[in-house]
Amino acid sequence: MSILANKETRVLISGGPAGVNAAKRMAEFCHLSRLPYNVSAFVFPPDAGKTIEVPFGSELVSVPVFKSVADATKEFPEINASLIYIGPNRAYAGTMEALAEPNIKLVSMITEGVPEKDAKKLRIEAERLGKTFNGPSSIGIISAGESRLGVIGGSFDNLVLCRLHRQGSFGVITKSGGLSNEIMWICSQFADGITTAIGIGGDTYPGSDFATYLEMFEKDPQTKAVVMVGEMGGDLEELAAAWYAKAPRRIKLIAVVSGYCQEQLPKGMKFGHAGAKEGLHGEGSARSKAEALRSAGAIVPATFGGLGPAIKQTYEDILASGDIKPIDEEALAPRHLPKPIESAIKDGDVFAEPLVKSTICDDRGEEPLYSGYPASELINKGYQIPHVIGLLWDKRLVSPVEAEIIKRIVILSADHGPCVSGALVTIIAACAGIQMAQAVAAGMIMIGPRFGGAVTGAGKWFSHAVKNNMTVDEFLAYMKENVGPVPGIGHRVKSVRNPDKRVKELISYVKSTGIPTPHLDFALAVEEKTTAKKDTLILNVDGTMAAVLVDLSFPVESLNGFFILSRTIGLIGHWIDQNRQGSRLVRLFRYLANYTTGKRREVPPLES
Amino acid sequence: MAKVLEGPGMGLLSKWGMAVPHYVVITDAAQLDSLSQANPWLRESKLVVKAHEAIGGRMKLGLVKVGLDLAAARNASEEMIGKEVAQVNISQVIISEMVDHEEEYYIAVKSTRSGAELLLAAMGGIEVEENWEKVKKLDVPLGSDPELTDVEALAKSAGFDDALVKKVAEFGIKLFQCYDQEDGNYLEINPLVVRKSNGELTALDAVTMVDGDARFRHPDWNFSFASEFGRPYSDNEKTIMEIDSRVKGSVKFIEIPGGDTALLPAGGGASVYYSDAVLAMGGTLANYSEYSGDPPDWAVEALTEKVCSLKGIKRIIVGGAIANFTNVKKTFSGIINGFRKAKAEGKLEGVEIWVRRGGPFEKEGLAAMKALENEGFNIHVFDRYTPLTDIVDYAIKGVKA
Repeated sequence: MSILANKETRVLISGGPAGVNAAKRMAEFCHLSRLPYNVSAFVFPPDAGKTIEVPFGSELVSVPVFKSVADATKEFPEINASLIYIGPNRAYAGTMEALAEPNIKLVSMITEGVPEKDAKKLRIEAERLGKTFNGPSSIGIISAGESRLGVIGGSFDNLVLCRLHRQGSFGVITKSGGLSNEIMWICSQFADGITTAIGIGGDTYPGSDFATYLEMFEKDPQTKAVVMVGEMGGDLEELAAAWYAKAPRRIKLIAVVSGYCQEQLPKGMKFGHAGAKEGLHGEGSARSKAEALRSAGAIVPATFGGLGPAIKQTYEDILASGDIKPIDEEALAPRHLPKPIESAIKDGDVFAEPLVKSTICDDRGEEPLYSGYPASELINKGYQIPHVIGLLWDKRLVSPVEAEIIKRIVILSADHGPCVSGALVTIIAACAGIQMAQAVAAGMIMIGPRFGGAVTGAGKWFSHAVKNNMTVDEFLAYMKENVGPVPGIGHRVKSVRNPDKRVKELISYVKSTGIPTPHLDFALAVEEKTTAKKDTLILNVDGTMAAVLVDLSFPVESLNGFFILSRTIGLIGHWIDQNRQGSRLVRLFRYLANYTTGKRREVPPLES
Repeated sequence: MAKVLEGPGMGLLSKWGMAVPHYVVITDAAQLDSLSQANPWLRESKLVVKAHEAIGGRMKLGLVKVGLDLAAARNASEEMIGKEVAQVNISQVIISEMVDHEEEYYIAVKSTRSGAELLLAAMGGIEVEENWEKVKKLDVPLGSDPELTDVEALAKSAGFDDALVKKVAEFGIKLFQCYDQEDGNYLEINPLVVRKSNGELTALDAVTMVDGDARFRHPDWNFSFASEFGRPYSDNEKTIMEIDSRVKGSVKFIEIPGGDTALLPAGGGASVYYSDAVLAMGGTLANYSEYSGDPPDWAVEALTEKVCSLKGIKRIIVGGAIANFTNVKKTFSGIINGFRKAKAEGKLEGVEIWVRRGGPFEKEGLAAMKALENEGFNIHVFDRYTPLTDIVDYAIKGVKA
């Protein structure tokens, strides 16, 4: 048994992210206590129509979001409680909306800084309707093993430590959220734990107060004693004392009051809670409250430190009276919270089959490792971009000569003016207002067999020929029969008489280094044969790069990458260039299109 | 509850149709030269000059001067502005006319749990405090306005002359309106007088407390709130208040010069229990502080720096209950950074730090705090198994667990 919240409580949460956080904490509690989830819906107009996914044990529960309380309760008539997680300027309206709903009997508000007048109006409205309004500034309500409303109880570990998965014998009422947790902890250490704990909030005029809840606890047979944490200011502790003294009470009352410090501190000083303030004429002092409670028969330790022993003594007295028995903890073990997969792996509890494998780069440390080498160390030791290419494309540190050749290849192929298909497409895209990533990608899509994309193909077949010791004639015959035109041979505009300066430059540098170049030599021999047939069948820049890179033993799959990488520099340049100029949309001139669609004719009637 | 100084408080009364004396608030005596040209009453009436600051007992401190002519008022203003009284630098004075009157009365509206109380007495000044039983009260339930006939009956029962009953009742209704519409907590007019020249009821002096939380619906509240404990806020306090006003959660800081024990506890509730524990153990408080509601670590760091700067402290109590949702690791990292900064600036020499806390990420937070031992801090760290305020006993009695 419990008060206010039990296994039948179904909750509507009004508000945004803070409410969602509470919903998650509530799901942890339900899982711990082997209960179905108690949150039915959210009200949050900006997200109406969506659902919010809440982890529940090892699953996700979808909780729908509605525009209004009425919409939510129409869909979920079982909703009987509401939590308010709305800002102070709209909390009043949101609470009135919830109170107006016939099935909702309990509204608890966490919002702090709600105007006093609003809180008073809400309490009176709730009283008029015979409902309970708890808060403002309430951390929530928790009934051990039955229901959690709000974040009261804190983290999952704390729920377990405080044994909140099962009922004890102590009720708890506090103004402070942190202290509600502290008292639950004390009750589980020194006694058998709690039935229900309520944070009433530290405002001057809380919606419901100590006396209201004491009356409820008195009627709950499971609750044998109530721990009440008060503070200076207002008269709620005095009202509680009056209630306790008014008639013989079944429940024992243990209470502490804070605020003795006010006797030595400047009058009128503000403490953490809005209500924690003596009256202008010294009403509501800690001492007078404690005295009122003590003379009403409550157990009132002189300090907070005295609470533990007082609770322990009370528990032992109740045990001795035979009213309760010690709880068999084994029979009521809490359920554990499934670990997130990452911490389970970390703790060595599970093995997860990886989905992808990376052999080049490891980012799990404080910086990426390129084939094992920390990026910062590469920089500090003077390595350059060609070395990074070597590490990430071929998992090795290239030699100084190789690095120089790669650098030259990148420089030579970085751009080739606005007219080539890649640059043209990027420019057209830039002029159409397309963003950089998409415009550059559009240009890159042009890279293929006819533009820049023949490097891999050329490398593949030159390498095939060299490996199989083919003669040039054998190779050309093989290609003619099985493949088609030789990749890397032939140019649209360049020819023997109009040579490609880039090609000459690259070849002469590679030759000057003295490295063995069997593939380049073979490619040049092929060129000699093909140009004899046709002037434009020269070894083009793709073919030259391919032959050189295969000579450097780069894998065939990587070869197109050298052109793609280099030309990306140019494509980005073209995009920036067009944007800086503020270029306008371009379209093809009609005279550049050859229209061969036939004459205009009449459309025949549509056949039915 | 938030205190409004006399000037803006009079402004609120006037807004709701109650007569108040003419007044001006100035920050420089020379402003009177041009103000007196525009306002004949400054030249024609006897004047009162008061320090316009939240200082208690202004009369005793010589910060109220009465019966002055313009020249004397200018001199009094000149003397007061910039003067340091009770560690407070007077920056403003309010100059108001003296209203010729005979009888003095008392009227107030006070917020209660069920609505409000209208209080009325046919006497004013300090006489009221001495004859509190003669103050008559009318309960006004929430959501209703007082009826004129009820207030008239109240005035009669308080002993007002028949001739004045209707006027007082009408004034009472206006005061209630002002209280209700301006989200008042407590409005007190003492004394309320009849101005001889025109027979009009006039509020000579007022205490104005409004609900600071309602500021969002009062765009014309162009004043800042004053402290309520007899001195204005210090710069350090203002810095923390400013941070408090713009962060999630809260950070609070009030200095109490001369104390030996500084507080840096978490939670509006627990912080008061820590304050009590310090005094119960015979310590003296150097401040009141608290942080709660999972504030950002930088805000807690700023608060820590202020706490570490308190003069003459022997120990800092970093206490706290078991948090519900405040991240202990994160808020502690703010405190740790604050400690490190303070230490680097040569503060915390000979200061002991005592820590007790629980809540989300408590293990990590407490371990980080404990690690400060290795940086030369005199720090003692306890977890949830040590009861809340026991660290105060250890710290002050010198007993260690």
